[in-house]
Amino acid sequence: MVALEMPRSNPIIEVRHLHKQFGSQVVFENLNLDVYEGEVLGIVGQSGGGKSVLLRCLNGLERYSAGRISFFGQDTAEMSGKDLRHVEARSGLLFQDGALFSALTVLQNIQVPMREHISLPKNIMDELAYLKLALVGLPANAAHKYPSELSGGMRKRAGLARALALDPKIVFLDEPTAGLDPIGANEFDLLIRDLQRTLGLTVFMVTHDLDSIFAICDRVAVLADRKIVRHGSPAELTKDPGHPWIKSYFCGERGRKAQSTAKDTAT
Amino acid sequence: MASYDQTDDRQSKGALFGSKGETSSRPALEWSGGENGYLLRIFGDWQVRHVRGIAKEIKKLKCGTAGTGPKGLTVDMAGLSALDTAGAMLILDMNELLKSKGYTPEIVNAREADQILFELISRHPRERGDTEVKSSMVLDLVRDLGETVLSIGRDIIEITAMIGQVTLSLLGLIIRPWRLRFTSLVHHMEHAGLKAVSIISLICFLIGAVIMQQSVEQLRAYSAEYFSIDMLGILALREVGVLLTSIMIAGRSGAAFTAEIGSMKMREEVDAMRALGIDPVETLIVPRVLALVIALPLLTFIGNIMCLAGGAFIAYQVMNIDLQSFVERLNDGVDIRHFYVGLIKTPFVALIIGIVGTLEGMRVQGSAESLGTHVRASVVKSIFLVIILDAAFAMALTAMGI
Repeated sequence: MVALEMPRSNPIIEVRHLHKQFGSQVVFENLNLDVYEGEVLGIVGQSGGGKSVLLRCLNGLERYSAGRISFFGQDTAEMSGKDLRHVEARSGLLFQDGALFSALTVLQNIQVPMREHISLPKNIMDELAYLKLALVGLPANAAHKYPSELSGGMRKRAGLARALALDPKIVFLDEPTAGLDPIGANEFDLLIRDLQRTLGLTVFMVTHDLDSIFAICDRVAVLADRKIVRHGSPAELTKDPGHPWIKSYFCGERGRKAQSTAKDTAT
Repeated sequence: MASYDQTDDRQSKGALFGSKGETSSRPALEWSGGENGYLLRIFGDWQVRHVRGIAKEIKKLKCGTAGTGPKGLTVDMAGLSALDTAGAMLILDMNELLKSKGYTPEIVNAREADQILFELISRHPRERGDTEVKSSMVLDLVRDLGETVLSIGRDIIEITAMIGQVTLSLLGLIIRPWRLRFTSLVHHMEHAGLKAVSIISLICFLIGAVIMQQSVEQLRAYSAEYFSIDMLGILALREVGVLLTSIMIAGRSGAAFTAEIGSMKMREEVDAMRALGIDPVETLIVPRVLALVIALPLLTFIGNIMCLAGGAFIAYQVMNIDLQSFVERLNDGVDIRHFYVGLIKTPFVALIIGIVGTLEGMRVQGSAESLGTHVRASVVKSIFLVIILDAAFAMALTAMGI
């Protein structure tokens, strides 16, 4: 795979010395992380360890106490409102259950970012929305349905279509395979991989799912003890865990199983 | 499968962060005709934020229909600085348009990443789902009318069924009183009853004052302003106290019942209850309806008293009648039966508000919009039914001479 050996010179996101606490509870302490262009980065860590908080911090949904987050080389804290809107338009976010707007149809949901950030002629906006719908593998008759009429997997696909509406450079996925059956989860993994390759996306993925880590992640960053303790390819981390939590995560029964499945499908 | 190509500097430079404008360039098309065929050159950023410009360029394209001459058309993408799915889609659509005009477009000088994009887009046909059929206004009107009639019929059936279910549950409670959710009952009595006292007192006081003031004003012409106390007494005890209180409760507690049960329904909590063998009618509906049936007469009583107090206040201010004379006049002029007539209605009204509120809650489906629709329906229906019920009572009781 080319992506693994690519030069690490071009971080899209740089997180430096991030500090965050809720009341007296410290969530991050001196957290450093780079997200490189064109990679699929998986964030793993204990439940309640702050993975989703990190994702929310990166998206400006949560304030942090100290430190620096830069997008495309620019500190988000120093960005003007206009620049921030550009960053928002260049990054897509898929929430855990899709977070589709329940009063809008799937098609209208996909068009929300288009309406919000740029003005498009109606017919082209429709064409684009139908294209995104097809790209995420939703049937055409889902376009005019409301989110409550869709299954969980379809809602996630629709959420992904909305996240991809403006051709972002980077997409953030919050537990993309949680709540899907193994077949659906596998399909969703492949979809992400496929779109990442063809659209040149950078994917930042918070996940628990060992299968999807071995299937699609180029690099895994482990969030433990309030910082990123290690990062590397899944294979590297399995070979040399270097941290008790990583050892139990990757080298446990389920970790070994997921790894062998990934190997089987690769060969 | 080709991975994302890192050495391709155009993609990373131009599209990475185009907001600063230093690398962004306007999309453009250049058409030229030669002896060996036509040449269409594409320039600039063909990206989603330039779509308006792109559409304009395509519209401006003066190519005409291919004549009898050469039909070959080379689409040169060497000048393209950035491409995303929107741009690629528009290029493919433009090629389709040119094909329909008789040209045979052929893309050259496309980079690998762009090729992949084109492939991706042509691999996914843009199917349109069935859109709703547009119908005429007249047909819409007829359909709406029919649906309304049907929904009224459905309401009548379901409200009757719910009354039956609640009655059954209540009868069950007489045999097994320990099954009554006492905590829940008290909780709802507190929220629907106790916490509504202040607002209902205030409203009834003000309306009592207004009625008194207006009737004094009107009856003064006949020097009969003293009788305005009789009028207020009868009006307040028979109708106004009950109506004001019930309408307030319908808006306050009826809506709350619908929203509470509706959001439980949305999160499948009601289904979970059924699955655990808990009867939702007994747990959710009976305590609420019973709480209202107990609380509403009490609230109405408070409302009545406040209505009279408002009248007494104005009587003192305008006619200088002190409280004692006011009460004496009330005693002489207003029969106690008016008070009973007002109060006898309240349990029935409470039943209607409770049943409609909880029933609408049980009808809520998955979405937040559905919750909103049913809360609205709950308030409108219960107020409407309260007024209908009140009118029926007024006619029946008057006919009976009470």
